[in-house]
Amino acid sequence: MSIQATATDLLTIEGLGHVYEGTEPFEAIGKLDFTVPEGAFVSIVGPSGCGKTTMLRCLSGLMKPTRGEVRLEGEPVTGVPRDLALVFQDYSRSLFPWRTVAGNIAYVLPRDLPKAERAARVQESLDAVGLGEAGAKYPWQLSGGMQQRVAIARALAYRPAILLMDEPFASVDAQTRAELEDLMLAVREQFGMTILFVTHDIDESVYLADRVLVLSKSPSTIVESLDVDLPRPRDQVSTRELDDFVHLRSHIARLIRDQSMKGRPAA
Amino acid sequence: MTVQEKERRLSSTTSAPPFGRRRTRSTASRRTTLLRGAAGFAALFAIAELVSRSGIVSETFLPPTSLVLLRVVELLVTPSFLVEVGATLSAWAIGLAICIVVSVTIGVLLGSSRAAYSGSRAVIEFLRPIPSVALIPLAMLVLGNDAEMKIALIVFSTSWPVLFNTIYGMHDVDPIAKLTAKSFGHGRLSTLLTVSLPSAMPFIFTGIRIAASVALIVAISAELLAGASNGLGRWMLDASATGNRPDLVFAATIIAGLLGLIINFLLQLIERRFLGWQTALRPTGGASK
Ligand SMILES: Nc1ncnc2c1ncn2[C@@H]1O[C@H](COP(=O)(O)OP(=O)(O)OP(=O)(O)O)[C@@H](O)[C@H]1O
Ligand SMILES: [Mg+2]
Repeated sequence: MSIQATATDLLTIEGLGHVYEGTEPFEAIGKLDFTVPEGAFVSIVGPSGCGKTTMLRCLSGLMKPTRGEVRLEGEPVTGVPRDLALVFQDYSRSLFPWRTVAGNIAYVLPRDLPKAERAARVQESLDAVGLGEAGAKYPWQLSGGMQQRVAIARALAYRPAILLMDEPFASVDAQTRAELEDLMLAVREQFGMTILFVTHDIDESVYLADRVLVLSKSPSTIVESLDVDLPRPRDQVSTRELDDFVHLRSHIARLIRDQSMKGRPAA
Repeated sequence: MTVQEKERRLSSTTSAPPFGRRRTRSTASRRTTLLRGAAGFAALFAIAELVSRSGIVSETFLPPTSLVLLRVVELLVTPSFLVEVGATLSAWAIGLAICIVVSVTIGVLLGSSRAAYSGSRAVIEFLRPIPSVALIPLAMLVLGNDAEMKIALIVFSTSWPVLFNTIYGMHDVDPIAKLTAKSFGHGRLSTLLTVSLPSAMPFIFTGIRIAASVALIVAISAELLAGASNGLGRWMLDASATGNRPDLVFAATIIAGLLGLIINFLLQLIERRFLGWQTALRPTGGASK
């Protein structure tokens, strides 16, 4: 499925820039302009330290950007918008160790929700990530991959229109990573969500997305925006064998390599 | 690490973590420790008994252990003695409760604002080193020698460990955890109550455990030194000065020690039950984070 030109833009970013103030001001984000259409899966790939986490904090209203505007469903983002959830890069620190898995998920539900409905919502999101049995456990009793699933389940229970994910699978092994990637594609179908997925893994960005944005080093800008027309449903083995996939990933790898060559003295 | 050690660390520095985390031990090794402890006590009692019976030390200084233990049992069923213990314990409980409410509240306020913390630091650093026993004359002057005096002294001396542990716990809250709450729409107050406070709870509770044993020490000291109108300390004073009964004094001392042990044991149970999630108490030893 490719992005239709007619799809409305859920998230619009215009001239976004951020400078960390301090004794040595650091310009993390130069200038970003892009949109995330409703229902799309957009990947952002960029080198470590290029400002991906900074960008997501600005988009989610946790931090005020130095320049530019973010609009969600047409409304400028000033505070933390209700229709947006963020899955943190550091999932083990973003889960509360004093709450059970179910308690962590229930934490994001509206306070006035009746008890039965609460339990149902918790169970539904745990089932969606394949952790239906783990509700009574504590996050620290689970493996890293399972903890990340809990963080995803919590975001699902919140029922946002758009899900922002910050390198969510960076610290799990390759097998778990492949499982979690497919899990994301599945829950996206099930919950009909728009997803903005940040990663530094080129293959992952192509495998998951309808569109890949390639970022430069700090102060970051968008080097190129590529539409991914690979057929869905995607498959860990056969999708990665397709010529289109191979070409795209090589193209992106070349872009990123050229980026890192820039600024170096010629050999 | 014992409570005393922790307290020493607490009073030696303010910026460093005010306590060390305890390591969890397996039940088997805990049982071994318990057995060894019991054996140590048995040996101590046996030696004391021998020393006393053989006349090396006069019985007026060291009554035979068997006699002291008999007195302990007798005292524990003597209503008039239990009333005195009750007076001490009620001052202990009231003082500790006031201390917890006041110190945790102030600690949360100071701990969540850097400005308030640095502003109040000078005052705290001035007040803290005053030994609570040195305040007894002042407390007697202002509050007389009844329960109010004891309670005031308890509150003063126990506030520091709870206050500092609360402030430290509040500073130690993971910023990512707070951001998480914020990202799911929780405001400042809600984040404070649902993230910062639970996260600081293990620290606060350690402060409370220190405070609980300090409170008992202060309660009994105040009764002894200020000649309080009632309480275990007052009872001991009477037994030693007017009654000249070393066996009773020894027995009451042992009972005071037992009170401390029981209090600590109960608090440990509460901690295991409600704060078992903290890294130091996890069955794994908290290796994974
Ligand atoms: N609070 C801060 N103050 C100053 N500089 C900061 C701050 N936070 C981040 N930076 C700098 O901004 C740049 C971007 O940081 P950011 O965390 O957004 O990168 P990232 O793309 O998410 O990196 P990674 O892939 O390693 O997670 C980095 O060079 C970092 O050193
Ligand atoms: Mg990052």
